[in-house]
Amino acid sequence: MNLKEIKIKAKNEIVKARSLKELNEIYKKYLGKKREITRIFSSLKKLSEGERKKLGKEANLVKREVEEMIKEKSKQLQEKLRKQKIEKEKIDVTRPGKKLEVGHLHPLTHVQREVLEIFQSMGFSVVLGPELETEWYNFDALNIPKDHPARDMWDTFWLQPESQMSNVKSQKFLLRTHTSPVQIRYMEKHNPPLRIVVPGRCFRHEATDASHEIQFYQLEGLMVDENVSAANFRAVIEEFLRRFFKTPIEIRLRPSYFPFTEPSFEVDVRREKEKWIEMMGAGMVHPKVFEAAGLNPKEWQGFAFGVGLDRLAMLRYKINDIRLFYSGDLRFLNQF
Amino acid sequence: MPSSGKLAEILTKHSFEVEEVKRVGKDWVLDIDVLPNRACDCFSHIGIAREVAVLTSSKFQIPNSKLKENKNLKAKDFVGVEIKNKEDCSRYTAKVVLGVKVKSSPKWIQERLKACGLQPINNIVDITNYVMLETGQPIHAFDFDKIKSENSKFQKKKIIVRRAKKGEKIAALDDKTYTLDEDILVIADAREPIAIAGIKGGESTGIDSETKNIVIEAANFNPRVIRKTSRKLKLRTDASWRFENGVDPNLIDFTQKRVCSLIQEIAGGKVAQGMVDFYPKKVRPKKIKLDLKYVERLLGVRIPKEKIIKILKNLGFKVARQSIKPSTHHLLIEVPTRRLDISIQEDLIEEIGRIAGFQNIPSIFPQASLIPPERNEEIFWQRNCQDILKEQGFTEVYNYSFIGEKEKEIFGWQDTEVLELANPISSFNKYLRPSLIPNLLRDVKENLKFFDEIKIFEIGKIFRKCQMSNVKCQILEKKMLGGVLTGKRIGDEGFYELKGIVDLLLNKLGISNVWYDDYQQTPEESHLEIWHPRKSAEIKTDGQELGFLGEIHPKILEELEIVEKVFVFDFNFEKLKKLASEEHEYQPISIHPAAVRDLAVLVPLRTKTVEVLNVINAAGGKLVRDVDLFDVYSGEGIPEGKENLAFHIIYQAEDRTLTSKEIDEVHQRIIKALEENPEWEVRK
Repeated sequence: MNLKEIKIKAKNEIVKARSLKELNEIYKKYLGKKREITRIFSSLKKLSEGERKKLGKEANLVKREVEEMIKEKSKQLQEKLRKQKIEKEKIDVTRPGKKLEVGHLHPLTHVQREVLEIFQSMGFSVVLGPELETEWYNFDALNIPKDHPARDMWDTFWLQPESQMSNVKSQKFLLRTHTSPVQIRYMEKHNPPLRIVVPGRCFRHEATDASHEIQFYQLEGLMVDENVSAANFRAVIEEFLRRFFKTPIEIRLRPSYFPFTEPSFEVDVRREKEKWIEMMGAGMVHPKVFEAAGLNPKEWQGFAFGVGLDRLAMLRYKINDIRLFYSGDLRFLNQF
Repeated sequence: MPSSGKLAEILTKHSFEVEEVKRVGKDWVLDIDVLPNRACDCFSHIGIAREVAVLTSSKFQIPNSKLKENKNLKAKDFVGVEIKNKEDCSRYTAKVVLGVKVKSSPKWIQERLKACGLQPINNIVDITNYVMLETGQPIHAFDFDKIKSENSKFQKKKIIVRRAKKGEKIAALDDKTYTLDEDILVIADAREPIAIAGIKGGESTGIDSETKNIVIEAANFNPRVIRKTSRKLKLRTDASWRFENGVDPNLIDFTQKRVCSLIQEIAGGKVAQGMVDFYPKKVRPKKIKLDLKYVERLLGVRIPKEKIIKILKNLGFKVARQSIKPSTHHLLIEVPTRRLDISIQEDLIEEIGRIAGFQNIPSIFPQASLIPPERNEEIFWQRNCQDILKEQGFTEVYNYSFIGEKEKEIFGWQDTEVLELANPISSFNKYLRPSLIPNLLRDVKENLKFFDEIKIFEIGKIFRKCQMSNVKCQILEKKMLGGVLTGKRIGDEGFYELKGIVDLLLNKLGISNVWYDDYQQTPEESHLEIWHPRKSAEIKTDGQELGFLGEIHPKILEELEIVEKVFVFDFNFEKLKKLASEEHEYQPISIHPAAVRDLAVLVPLRTKTVEVLNVINAAGGKLVRDVDLFDVYSGEGIPEGKENLAFHIIYQAEDRTLTSKEIDEVHQRIIKALEENPEWEVRK
């Protein structure tokens, strides 16, 4: 066979090759030991120098061309194989993804962090106080005297009297019914001007149902200076509510009564196109409270408010039963 | 008069919340939430009418009561009154009406009483109730003839207001008999109590269809005494409720006139002239100095002086003087005695503000110094702990701060250790929780119904009573951090898995030099069996105990019916907070490769890994980067009573690549050190 014939034959076979294995066979057939093209090289010694050169050159050319063709074809075949493999690997993207076990923070933790951040950005310091309080801090210092109907506004858990041996002389201990006692504790030790918020667990002796629990979280706010007014309160609380609800809001102040504030307000909130909801109680700090904390009421004025964090969380997440917060039910907690 | 709906709105905006507006026949009933401070004047229709008049700028007119008294009959001839202690009763009045006809009241009175939730009884009783609802002053009617005098001959009857004697009884109008004592104030005749003062009348002098002559009592009693009695006897009435909140003694004059006038009109009879009146200390109107500049400062909005004066006058306050030296912005205000809630300037400012409308208070941001708030350390570290545990796949729970009788018994706490509530809701919340663990275990039990694996944590307060040898007992409130790991996959090896998590937590909090000691119960704690004594540890650092880590005692799991083994860590959060630090030093990464050599040591069972580790680290020195226990094996091929500990020892230097020779040297040194212990054998 001459080179031209070899080249054409090889080319045909290469084009027809369907697998790398076949291609390899073709390679061996033409370029392997003692095979077609290689034989041509071996036959060169029989020829004259001039003819050797000529044939040698041609043979090399053919060799290279065949090699090229094989290489090209090989690439094509590999490409084809790859595409086939890729097609086979098709997956069902609608199948559920692998579930990762992650941890969760309690929804009240989320809400508390957010609320504290809003107030801290307005310069309020965060202060904490004891859950087990004395009657004096929880009631008397806040102008809620014994044997007074105002006390009926808070149903209290009292500690068994024998239980108390005293750190403090003959004090009655209770579980705090609100975070307001910390107003007194803080003002006893710090001079105004001041602005604080106090998050904390509080307790009420109440029958539990979807909107009432024996324990809940409250956030107290207090700002005192020489000229802090109800208008200042309005601005601060509007800002807080606007940022918390992340939507334009309207508030309204209407008269209420707390022994530790005068005037006292009830704050209602309305989000766009919704109804008014009761949000929190507030008011201007009563002079008797300043006195109990050792401050001169003629020098200072301030506002105070108390908002329920459970309530905020229920509004935020549209939770309809407050008892879920303390149920320890992972089916609920794992949603946050 | 505005419509009922509009009225409700106006009242809510300026006075009290109107909770419900109901239609009753041709009439409307408003359910108004009058708060304790306005009980004195607004637990009455006249009080509310006054408010409405001010708010709608209408004229308020007190109901007219024409009374025709009989000049030939004098009240003081029929009734005498003796008050034993004027602290208990600041005013007592009695009027007498003779020859009444007792029957049902006219329809209009019955309807109004029913609309307000009261039952009509007979015309006399109904009128007393009606006038109470009208004026806020409770009234009581006695059957004059049934009042017993010292002897049975017709005589002036004496009414005594005194404390009951211990053991005295009274059969009340509610068909119950009450046993009394010296804390309770009664109205008595010569023989016995005829009424529980200010709360309920007695049956013996009750008005019935035969009654002809009556005594009308309108009085004022000490709110504290009434409140105490009401709670003691568990007897709460429309009358006691009003007295508890305080009533203006000066209401009595109008009230008596009104009652007698209605009785005369409806039941007939002759009204004796005059009124027996014990009123030693007449209550006079208060005078309060009002600083107009303070009004503006407190509310944050300027209300013109004329408007302020108009509001106060409409409310019935007198402006006694329009300016007082030295300035023109002070007013002297005289407060009507019916407003017991007004005693300081701030009370007046509330009146001014609410009538003017709190909606007029603008929004003005306060001006304050730009001092950034201090970081609250407790909140900061609490946040860190929460985030670190959440990253480890733990879910945060909030449990109740209480435990019940059942938990106390199961865990073994004694009465001297736990704080008990005086008024729990039930035995379920009888005690304050002395530990986070009982409720965490409850969470485990409940959640195992739905989940195979449980990883939860809680940061919360616990409460204890603590007995310190000769010091008086202290009440302790402590913040703790507790966590639980349990589940099918965890099985029995939860301790080490939890230990890894605890190590990570402490590491991230920057607490170093932590070591784990065998759990040892102190003699004082021997009655508590919470931790598995052989599978639990005390976590310590620098001589302090931080907390515990271990498996819960099988006995407790059995009692609680929990099938899986439960692993718990319990930290004193306050200690963690004190030791936590944000300092982190970067460890340079060595560019020189590390080499790993394995080492196996045969040791007696129960040898502490930490001892072997200590020897390896001590002998190895700086060139030992890390020692990793990767296997603990006992059983086939291992002599009895022993176990095989297998370690990867990682050698690395910071400044050079170690040669085989160097590594061999250190490795031999380690082997030699280990074999100094006759019980240990390094396996070759």
